[in-house]
Amino acid sequence: MQITINNQVIEVHEGETLIEVARRAGLELPSMCYAKGAKHKSSCMVCVVKNVQTGQMIPSCSTLPTEGMVIDTQSEEVLKLRQLSLELLLSDHRADCEAPCSIVCPKGLDVEHLLWLYDTRRLAEARSFLAATFPLDQLGCANCKAPCEKACRRGTVDKAVQIRAIIQSLAERTDLALLPAVTPHAADKKSFISKLGRFTPKEKEWLKETVDAPSRCLHCACPGHTDCKLRRYATEAGIKRPRYEVSSALPVKEKIHVNGRLWYEPAKCIRCGLCVYNSDNGFTFERRGFVMQVVIPEENRSNVPEQLATLCPTGALFLME
Amino acid sequence: MACADCKQNGLQTKEAMIARVDAIIDRVGTSRRIIIPLLQALQAEFSYLPSDALQRVYERTEIDRAQMISVSTFYAQFRHIPYGRHIIKVCTGTACHVKGANNVYDAFRRELNMDEETITTADQQYSIEKIACLGCCALAPVVQIDEKIFGHVQPGRVREVLDEFQQYAQEQEAQAADEAKEPPIGEVRLGMENCCQASGTAAIYQAVLDASHELGIKVAIKPVSCVGACNQVPLIDVALPDGSIERYPNVKPEEIKEILLHHFKPASRLRRWKNALLNQIDMFHTDTTWDNILWKSEQERTGTINTFLSRQKRISTEGYGIISPLDIDEYMAHEGFAALEKAVTTMPRQAVIDTILQSGLRGRGGGGFPTGRKWSLVAATDKTEKYVICNGDEGDPGAFMDRILLESYPLRVIEGMIIAGYAVGARKGIFYIRAEYPQAVIRTRKAIELCREKGLLGEKLFGSDFSFDVTIFEGAGAFVCGEETALIASIEGQRGFPRQRPPYPAVEGLFGCPTLINNVETLSQISYIIRHGAEAYRTIGTEKSPGTKVFALAGKVCHGGLIEVPMGTTLNQIIEDIGGGVEGGEKLKAVQTGGPSGGCIPAELCDAPVDFDALTRMGAIMGSGGMVVLSESSCMVDVARYFLSFTCQESCGKCTFCRVGIRRMLDILDRLCTGKGTMEDIDKLEELAISIKQMALCGLGKTAPNPVLSTLKYFRKEYEEHVQGICRTGTCKEMVKLEVTEACVGCTKCAKACPSDAIPYTPYERHHINMEQCVLCGLCIDECSYDAIRKVALKS
Repeated sequence: MQITINNQVIEVHEGETLIEVARRAGLELPSMCYAKGAKHKSSCMVCVVKNVQTGQMIPSCSTLPTEGMVIDTQSEEVLKLRQLSLELLLSDHRADCEAPCSIVCPKGLDVEHLLWLYDTRRLAEARSFLAATFPLDQLGCANCKAPCEKACRRGTVDKAVQIRAIIQSLAERTDLALLPAVTPHAADKKSFISKLGRFTPKEKEWLKETVDAPSRCLHCACPGHTDCKLRRYATEAGIKRPRYEVSSALPVKEKIHVNGRLWYEPAKCIRCGLCVYNSDNGFTFERRGFVMQVVIPEENRSNVPEQLATLCPTGALFLME
Repeated sequence: MACADCKQNGLQTKEAMIARVDAIIDRVGTSRRIIIPLLQALQAEFSYLPSDALQRVYERTEIDRAQMISVSTFYAQFRHIPYGRHIIKVCTGTACHVKGANNVYDAFRRELNMDEETITTADQQYSIEKIACLGCCALAPVVQIDEKIFGHVQPGRVREVLDEFQQYAQEQEAQAADEAKEPPIGEVRLGMENCCQASGTAAIYQAVLDASHELGIKVAIKPVSCVGACNQVPLIDVALPDGSIERYPNVKPEEIKEILLHHFKPASRLRRWKNALLNQIDMFHTDTTWDNILWKSEQERTGTINTFLSRQKRISTEGYGIISPLDIDEYMAHEGFAALEKAVTTMPRQAVIDTILQSGLRGRGGGGFPTGRKWSLVAATDKTEKYVICNGDEGDPGAFMDRILLESYPLRVIEGMIIAGYAVGARKGIFYIRAEYPQAVIRTRKAIELCREKGLLGEKLFGSDFSFDVTIFEGAGAFVCGEETALIASIEGQRGFPRQRPPYPAVEGLFGCPTLINNVETLSQISYIIRHGAEAYRTIGTEKSPGTKVFALAGKVCHGGLIEVPMGTTLNQIIEDIGGGVEGGEKLKAVQTGGPSGGCIPAELCDAPVDFDALTRMGAIMGSGGMVVLSESSCMVDVARYFLSFTCQESCGKCTFCRVGIRRMLDILDRLCTGKGTMEDIDKLEELAISIKQMALCGLGKTAPNPVLSTLKYFRKEYEEHVQGICRTGTCKEMVKLEVTEACVGCTKCAKACPSDAIPYTPYERHHINMEQCVLCGLCIDECSYDAIRKVALKS
């Protein structure tokens, strides 16, 4: 069987869906709810293509080719709808890709990562990380106007994290030996950055009660930020900020320990269901419509394998020591 | 109540509960696919789903926690928290919405002193919820308390309704049947459908019983199918010994005695004399007798009803008011099952399909796909296991065709289904009926039993090698399950996610077998076609859409009800000639057809003949047949928002464009209706609507933007006015205020009625409404005898 994709005639292999045909032919097609070899149901519509003969917009991830099909993957019309699907997903995504403090630091320090090391009591690592970004003896925090503390999300809950004081205290701990070869990673400011927005009064109360890290940091930065398809495609599509009002029925900042190294943060879920369809009596859908969410009942947590994290297209499922 | 027991008896009751759960599991089964019937049975037993009961289900069945959460939270029917003793369901269907259902809901909450966040009263007596549609649109606004339905409930009548219900509940408990032994000398027929019951047929039923007992006139009371003239009910037909019928619409219980005496003579002479005497005394004591229903001429009595009925052509509803829904002998005497016998005994399968193909019958569920083609597709597969499903999951708010067809003509639908089964080579049929229609389920179940007794269902029908049997599956409250792939998923015990087609259910449907899914109304047209032939059928209706269509006429129309007209009848004919024009002498503004998937047709286009293609051209759709008349006092932006909020709630949530896109459209409409919208919002709304239409994967999502697109097309000006903060109809609460005019005499009626104390008690002075406290419920407008309170736009 042969089909035409973007004026290119391509031979179809047995059982392939459109996206597989296109990708084999070297065409780049984004997709989120689809993962090769995994059970899936089309839902995100990021992989949309146009059937030129019928004029229909179809999900390439689950449509089987028919003889003589003519497909268009890159016309303006298709790209516009693809962008809209990303914008809609982002409008229901109350999460920060990068921590605001890390973005604004004039010295380019990934503040949130430093606080993460601090909160997990890896003080030597923290001090080394600090030293890898700038020499400890030239620490400029004392004279800095501290945009990090002004940007701090915790500040909108009650009081900002005392970032400068923590950095100062780390710098002074000369008893902690510097570890060799610490790679200084910085916040990615070039890519699209999703922003969480304001907390509701209820959320503030909840955060005050539950976040009890030594630094009081909320750890806004997404643990999945290096491997998030939503962010990658949004960057490629040139989206700056979603055009639609951001609101979500998902709990913000809730992090659930599933088992072992596996964690789940519902606010980042796009409800593609890959984790639901590929776990046996593990993750499941709850409710329907806009308020539908993916949940993991406590009794089911041991049924979920760690590898599931690799299926998740966003940072909703992630591995953490 | 189970929970109360638990507290009192502790452990012992938990064991008792588990025993009850076990009994249900033994009865219903243990496989994954029976989860919905199992949960329904559990809820019927405990009135909600107690977690201990669910724990037992995990232990004893294949159902696991993931499936349980997924399914039990998807369907609206299932409750995870205990409810009060009685459940008040406020219908928020389209017809009820345009007549102020939200105010009724608020009024109940106020009357029962409910806090903002609870749904149950402190004394655990009542729980309240909004429900998509009870299917009694002609009696809007409608409220159902437990099984009892109340029509025309206004905010001011709430207390009255609750009192009436309490009385009814007490009577129910005390009632004992009184069966006399003498044979009846006549027959009184009365409709006992939901809507008839809501208008007080039960009181009439009781009155007939009492009167026949008191007067010694033994008459048989026969519940009959719906006449469709829902606005004329309670309506009784008196069948006389000579076979003639006298019809009395809008009867009152106190008139029953008079009617019976007029037609029948009591059995004994003494009773006759006694009755005559007592009647004379009655006449002197009450002046009402002089304006008695009997004094009016036949024409006067039934004038409106005859015009209501004359324009109609009956195929699906053939035998209205004559045939008792469950009298199988009577149905057979009226050519019932003649079509089935003809098909099975004289026609090869292909000939049946050809007849349906030639008749041009198109699916009545919404899409209008040629029924014959669907049948051919299923017949063409060579698998031995096939299914026929009758889709009775009528969820459109504002539609009640399927309910009435199943309640009143279940035998005709079953006949159509057996013929379909014969034609496509299936052995099993399933009725999928939504849970909100308990009466339809009961009647259909009974009708199936009757057919089995008569040998019309079962093995080797009419001596042929064709065997067929039917079961019922009750839907659990999800509009999306009207979509055929979602319907199949729900029968298979999953959440109602539609899946991508192809493969179509005709090739790969229920449990992977070829499945024919036809709407209730489609199946009810089959027997006529087989009996009279394709040619005769084609003479009715239009060329591309032959036959008749059943509509549920409701909204702001004088005579609402179920109507059946030939395709091609114009909307104006329907509204004027059948519906008697717009209610309250207002001007027609638009007609909404097709429910949440359809659109609004403006008054100037209402002379177009109604068929599948004409409606689609105008931006609406035929849909299943809901037809809601909108008058000048209906706000089109509000109507659009109403439908969008419905689809937003009913979206299954699987796909981005439907789940998030509709929510974003609703955000914009919310802004417009509260006067916070911008012109840019209107463009954004339109862009989103067009994109969702292209990108949604199932029928629900693809058609959800229609109400917005059609109102934008014909009523864009109204949207623009909302941006400026003007709602001319006074519907959008944030843009109106109430004003007391000079006609006020200071009678204080409004001040006493006001539930939020917004009107100070100032006798003999012109009243004044405090807008900060006013909740705009409109009670004062209803109360005022001087027409001195008006809704006015904040801006003009």
